[in-house]
Amino acid sequence: MLDALAAERLKLTRHKATWFLVWLYPILFLVAYLIAVAVAAAHAGAPSKPTGAAEWIAETAIIWKLPDQTIGRLLIGAYVAVVFAGEYGWNTWKLIVPHRSRASLLLAKVGMIVLLFLATFLLTAVISLVFTWIEGAVRGRAVPDGVTAAAILDAHGRAALAGLAPFLFTLASVGLAAILTRSTIAALVIGVVVAILEKLFVQLGPYLAPYATSLVWSLYHALPGYHLVNLAAWVTEGAAHRTPFPDGRIVALDWTTSLAVAAAWTLGLAAAAFAAFRRQDIN
Amino acid sequence: MSDTQAPVLELVNLSKTYGRRGKGVAAVRDVSLTVAPGEVYGFLGPNGAGKSTTIRMALGLIAPTGGEVRLFGEDLRRNGAVLKRVGSLVDGGAFYPFLSGRRNLEVVARTHGGAADAGRIEALLDQVGLARDAKRKVKGYSTGMRQRLGVAAALLHDPDIVILDEPVNGLDVAGIQEMRALIRGLAADQGKTVFLSSHLLHEVQQVCDRVAIISKGEIVREARIADLLRQEAGLRVEAAPLDVAEAALAARWKVERSGEALVVAATREEAPEVARRLIGAGADLFALAAEQRNLEEVFLSITQPETDHA
Repeated sequence: MLDALAAERLKLTRHKATWFLVWLYPILFLVAYLIAVAVAAAHAGAPSKPTGAAEWIAETAIIWKLPDQTIGRLLIGAYVAVVFAGEYGWNTWKLIVPHRSRASLLLAKVGMIVLLFLATFLLTAVISLVFTWIEGAVRGRAVPDGVTAAAILDAHGRAALAGLAPFLFTLASVGLAAILTRSTIAALVIGVVVAILEKLFVQLGPYLAPYATSLVWSLYHALPGYHLVNLAAWVTEGAAHRTPFPDGRIVALDWTTSLAVAAAWTLGLAAAAFAAFRRQDIN
Repeated sequence: MSDTQAPVLELVNLSKTYGRRGKGVAAVRDVSLTVAPGEVYGFLGPNGAGKSTTIRMALGLIAPTGGEVRLFGEDLRRNGAVLKRVGSLVDGGAFYPFLSGRRNLEVVARTHGGAADAGRIEALLDQVGLARDAKRKVKGYSTGMRQRLGVAAALLHDPDIVILDEPVNGLDVAGIQEMRALIRGLAADQGKTVFLSSHLLHEVQQVCDRVAIISKGEIVREARIADLLRQEAGLRVEAAPLDVAEAALAARWKVERSGEALVVAATREEAPEVARRLIGAGADLFALAAEQRNLEEVFLSITQPETDHA
């Protein structure tokens, strides 16, 4: 399996789109922080609002929130679309499929995507930490009391855990779309539509409820959108995400229910992707 | 070829139908053939005959709708790992265009399992004449260069059987000669089995021990090349009046006009009977000789019989 991962690394780190879509985050953050430091240097000595330890740490952990944002889902989806559907576009499945089981080829892609995103998000988090400290120093602000290594690790760990479920869901849904459509563009479009509709439904569901109360209530519980948000809320805030409906009912589920539903969706989509690829003709 | 050795590749009633069962289009129907160890086996057929579909089924790229593929005695559906012993070139060498030739071979080596042996990769690149271009991205390669890289990829893990789909496509004359020597060497020097499809019949005739001819998804002939040419040999008849001679012979054999002569699908042993029939019909016989056909003529007569007969 390590060989298959190494083969994926060789491909993904040398393709312009896959390289860019992974290392985009540390590059963007670095540029943004350099600008912020330059601005801070230009206004050195000006009074600035002191920040608390929790706020200071939260600012450094912002990258982990990306998978739960629509734009983050789109960027991750674009990467997944290129990785999976690219093999159809390059016509290269027939080069590698005879050498290894189809399941292990997909697993290697999943593994390398997870590893690369973990690496880039970690690097981005380190950049955030270092430059938040530098910017504060330039502004003449001390690091707030309570910012300790343990507190940073705890906050980053929780934020990373909160981002894991939407990341894996995006990976599974766009991966399946790429395998079924055999097209990067089609997979990306499907990924965009799914991400937007899912986010919209979480926001707009309660407003749609008066028109079809029972249906909207059931969909709100059955679709993954609320559960992904709810899991993030449990991990970061220790409480359920509350969505009030017009009839007075409130959706606020425990984390085990949301974990079960989100896992069922993610594993179901992943299983469908593996099954579809296993039976697929490579023409 | 030894009859006592187990076959390397067996296709047993292999079929592929696209679309719904019953209403689908049959791309391949009940194809059965056996390739022995060390044999160079040619797979011939016109475009759309089902060659590529058959080869893809043998490589596990396309799932058959019927029959089975056996590699080294193992059913491919039950044991896909047996493909580890197979090298393949499909579709003229499909590679990652953004990687160099060498990196592509590294990807194949890694995917197959085990570290990419730099020495082996260099030797193969040298063998196929791509050593100088190894660092260039494949998107800049010509069709022939991709084809040669495909052969290197097929041989990378030292397979026991090499399955090549149109291996000389896109090669120039020198490249074709090199490929011919390479394929011969694989069987003669390294004891490998080679299964290749080609539309260049001359190449197949020079390289292969046996051939199967596929037409409209079905195997229409399978034989050793020498036997096939002998079976399909005819007699050239010069007689007058030509119409009388043709009518006398067409009652028993397939007859084609070739200028002012007739080519009769009869064996050398049947020559006296041909002569008797002509004389009996009142035709004057001027010449009667064995007509040796090449593989191309045999191929056309088998795959386009109605055209030949017209």
